Amino acid sequence: MDTIFFALLNGVIHGLLLFMVSAGLTLVFGMMGVLNFAHASFYMLGAYFAYTLQGIVGFGPAVVLAALLAGAVGVGVERWFLRRVHHHGHAHELLLTFGLSFIIAETIKLLFGNHPVDYRVPASLDFAAFSLGSQQYPVYRLLMGGVAIAMFAALWALLTRTRVGIVVRAAIYRPRMAEALGHNVQLVFMGVFGVGAALAGLAGAVAGAFYTTNPNMALEVGVMVFVIVVVGGLGSLGGAMLASVLIGVITSLAVGVDRSIADLLAFLGARSWAEGIGGLLTLKVSSLAATIPFVLMLLVLLVRPRGLMGEEA
Amino acid sequence: MSRSWTLLLLGSGVALLAALPALLSAGLLNASIQMLIAALFACAYSLLAGRAGLLSFGHAAYFGVGAFATLHAMNAFAGKGLLPTPLLPLVGAFAGLLVGLVAGWFATKRSGTTFAMITLAVAELLHSLAPQLKGWFGGESGISAMRMPAWGLTFGSTVEVYYLTLAWVLLSLALLHFHGRTPLGRLTLALRENGHRLKFLGYDAHGVGLSAFVVSSMFAGIAGGLQAINNEAANYVVFDASVSAAVVLNSYIGGVGSFLGPALGAALMTFFGYAVSDATRSWLLYQGMLFVLVMMFVPVGLTGLFGAAARLKARRGWRLAVSVSALAVVATLCAAAGVVFVVEMLQRLCSHDYRALAAMGGSWPPIALFGRSWPPGSVATWLVPAALLAVAGLLGWTARRALVSPAVPQPEAAAIDGQEALT
Repeated sequence: MDTIFFALLNGVIHGLLLFMVSAGLTLVFGMMGVLNFAHASFYMLGAYFAYTLQGIVGFGPAVVLAALLAGAVGVGVERWFLRRVHHHGHAHELLLTFGLSFIIAETIKLLFGNHPVDYRVPASLDFAAFSLGSQQYPVYRLLMGGVAIAMFAALWALLTRTRVGIVVRAAIYRPRMAEALGHNVQLVFMGVFGVGAALAGLAGAVAGAFYTTNPNMALEVGVMVFVIVVVGGLGSLGGAMLASVLIGVITSLAVGVDRSIADLLAFLGARSWAEGIGGLLTLKVSSLAATIPFVLMLLVLLVRPRGLMGEEA
Repeated sequence: MSRSWTLLLLGSGVALLAALPALLSAGLLNASIQMLIAALFACAYSLLAGRAGLLSFGHAAYFGVGAFATLHAMNAFAGKGLLPTPLLPLVGAFAGLLVGLVAGWFATKRSGTTFAMITLAVAELLHSLAPQLKGWFGGESGISAMRMPAWGLTFGSTVEVYYLTLAWVLLSLALLHFHGRTPLGRLTLALRENGHRLKFLGYDAHGVGLSAFVVSSMFAGIAGGLQAINNEAANYVVFDASVSAAVVLNSYIGGVGSFLGPALGAALMTFFGYAVSDATRSWLLYQGMLFVLVMMFVPVGLTGLFGAAARLKARRGWRLAVSVSALAVVATLCAAAGVVFVVEMLQRLCSHDYRALAAMGGSWPPIALFGRSWPPGSVATWLVPAALLAVAGLLGWTARRALVSPAVPQPEAAAIDGQEALT
């Protein structure tokens, strides 16, 4: 029972973290229709910025500064790269961000080396929050979840309760109309892109200390973030939240399941048939944990391409 | 360029390729095999991305499936019977076709970003499953096979493998080229230009897209098969996202608008990788920078530059065309030299060894680079790249001015609408 509870909690918190990274991406995607391949790179940048600043200003300020710096990089990318190729069409923008993600990863390798750096949770935050049975639960994990929830609440409030939010949503759904009404849509794009990058940077700064900070962390998260945006639905924050938590929980639980499809078929008396076929049918669910999100993504793309909570295109 | 010129150029290119084994060392010949395979893969990819306008982010899937199928066939037939070694890429083709048919059936129902995401999901699915399916993909260690003698050839030497690869690549490129001339190939172009209109004209847009997908994955499978024959082994890493990424980068750097653009881009990039990866660890950074620069300033790809130069000559005379091209080339070289200098200096400054050395000595020892030693603390060191970049900027500005000077409509627009002129 304890293990299931811990797995569930870990899954939820991992999902919340994934949400932090994908929130900016889903907004940009909804607004510009462009999947930003470099988005997960901002997550990595956040971790590296925080790692570098930590020794100078301390952990807390470093996290905040890292998020701001990642946001600044994001603004620069929108202003000097994406906007320049906008008139070539979506495919071009997508390819450009793809190239940028390459450059960012390689620059990190150049400056910090191709190995994990020593960025860890500060001693003042490294204690157990509670213990259940024989296991203890680190407080930092809860903190990560708390940051993500606070971020979701702030973002939601900003988008639905303020004037800025009205303009942003207008620019997302009806950019031309918003422009005709005298709003500077270019500025809104730049702002949303920057805020998205800053959120990803914040997630990186917070999570990098707990997991490892290495030059491949963008790749590890990158694909999963696309899965979330696609499963959640174009530009839907709620969808991104739902998909993140769903995927976090599913993968976390699947790791603990020591059964295969053949065991399931045994209820129908088809175990020997399934074992005879072998391959997929005899693989344990735990070894398929990495595969499940992609199966989910394919299913959603085929059955409901607008995603779980996306608007009808 | 007239038809006879094109044929002459093509003929001499093929003759050069055929003569390569006599000219090159074994190591370079092996690199040439890689270049040929990469060129075929890029051409297969750009049939889909360039001709059909369907951006796939998971083409490693079909390449990898072709490689594994070929290896299994190598083990099963042992070079005898129906499939002697030279015909083995047919297995790769068939496997690529089959998997492409299944994946493409679903993927081509959508277009744009959704299409790209489906191909990405399929490739990632295979990549995450492959290490688990030991029977098919040999787990983490992969599977291996031996090239068996056939048709009086032993396939023991690199030269024989080179000719086998060359024959298959040339045949495949010819077939890919003629695909563009067939009615189906023209319809594929129409799909890129306007899928809705194609539908209204009564064509089956999904079928056209699927056909492009299947042909593309079939030739990607051949490329994978050739790779398997060359390496005699493969593991699940061929499904890696970096393989899919490389083919996208190669094709677009070369230019998907022209037929041979992707092939040249892939050959160039593979050769650079071979030549430069020993000299510097920042090779991938240069590749990424090149890609971003091409995307921003030469959206038609490097081969598109030739077309742009030809149009400039037609419009403004050869004198101006030559001087502007020369200025641009020199400016590019200067800029590249400056950037390479900075990157290499940074790489050495940030390396583990150097930092340990600096911490131990308490000072910053000079760095050996390009046959000289540069003290990192001195202004003179950093003036070198600054000067190179300044010269590049100045030359670029001069070239731009020469282009803009008397009444000529929008030189930049000319570079952009090369896309139409090329296809």
